Amino acid sequence: MPACPSRITPEWRDDMEGENMQLTHLDAHGKASMVDVGEKGETRREAIASGRIVMQPETLALLADGALPKGDVIATARIAGIQAAKRTHELIPLCHSLALSKVALEFDVDALNNCVHVEAMCRLTGRTGVEMEALTAVSVACLTLYDMCKAVDKSMRIDAVQLEQKSGGQRGDYQRRVDAPIVTGDSVAREVSLGDRCDSPCVRVKFLAELRERVGESETIVALDQLDNCDVAGLKATLTARNGAFEVLGERRVLCAINQVMANDSARITDEDEVAFFPPVTGG
Amino acid sequence: MDVHKDIRVSVQHEPFSSADDGSELGRGRTDIGAVVCFTGLVRDFNESPDVTGLTLEHYPGMTERTLEDIGREAWQRWSLKAVRIVHRVGYMAPGDGIVRVSAASTHRRDAFEACDFIMDFLKTRAPFWKKEHAGSGDYWVKERATDYADADRWES
Repeated sequence: MPACPSRITPEWRDDMEGENMQLTHLDAHGKASMVDVGEKGETRREAIASGRIVMQPETLALLADGALPKGDVIATARIAGIQAAKRTHELIPLCHSLALSKVALEFDVDALNNCVHVEAMCRLTGRTGVEMEALTAVSVACLTLYDMCKAVDKSMRIDAVQLEQKSGGQRGDYQRRVDAPIVTGDSVAREVSLGDRCDSPCVRVKFLAELRERVGESETIVALDQLDNCDVAGLKATLTARNGAFEVLGERRVLCAINQVMANDSARITDEDEVAFFPPVTGG
Repeated sequence: MDVHKDIRVSVQHEPFSSADDGSELGRGRTDIGAVVCFTGLVRDFNESPDVTGLTLEHYPGMTERTLEDIGREAWQRWSLKAVRIVHRVGYMAPGDGIVRVSAASTHRRDAFEACDFIMDFLKTRAPFWKKEHAGSGDYWVKERATDYADADRWES
């Protein structure tokens, strides 16, 4: 079953909060406008951006060995990235010129994926964010890598230039999330999902949260005639006999609900019950 | 919603709306003398010093039912005019609101204590699970003995 997608995806959550869903560089008439940041308070701001340049394996080997005609490729790209961050306001029309307190670039030569990963961090204490500086640093570092290697490889590709995280400022922090949010199940609120009916009497067993990850599945069907005892303890025994991964169900901290009502080991199980096992709750 | 008791619960992905702050409870009524509203937020430190966010999972169906039961239990213990419980699920970043409990009553003590009680029971009974994301990786948040001790205060 696909997990329910979050309505608010992190990629645009900043702009969804409050009534701020607007483009700050456009005025009320839709014309380009530099934001007046004079009234904003100074905060410590930091942004990290990343990108990569994909190339032929032979090119990557030459780069790693420092054997390319233009010399030390990475050192040159690093200086280029730092210089670019400082000059972002000259390139991006409505960017303010900023007194950056720190710019750092990291390069990771990835032989497995035939690429060089580039990451740039920019920092300052000021009134406006530094994500454009970090993105510009990555972009120009990648372009410099291209320039340094193009004599031997013209098929190189720059891609995945993106903001990884930013902190500070009114709009709050941003963190790119790789994993989709995990939310259990697809059942409609207030309804116990029956799903496909079994031909013979059976129970639907769900494993939630940490327990789902430990047993390696979210749901299974158990025929009632497979149970020695038609209670929760009997169900645990049958599952454990079927697969050793279910031994975790024997831990004292594991909780159980039958048809969404808390139950103990001696609680009876009947046909078409929904039995859920889960760890102690940690909400609020 | 319970027609006799003004108890409403919501489990949602969306951030809290401005109406969730308890201000709605007193509107158009003159019998309410106190509204207490508690908001729980995501901290940037918990089991790790550098929590970058968390993902809240729940057990749809049972969650709503449990929250309503807790609201009804509070209704029996205190003299309340209205109860609201809003809990978010899905991904949240530090500083985001996770849970908001509002209670309205004639006198303040009932509303204060009902909010306290609802939070203690919610933290130990409602089927929510937090997975924290930190620099060192993702992990499931462990239950706390102090939360159970807090909930036990109401048993006597």
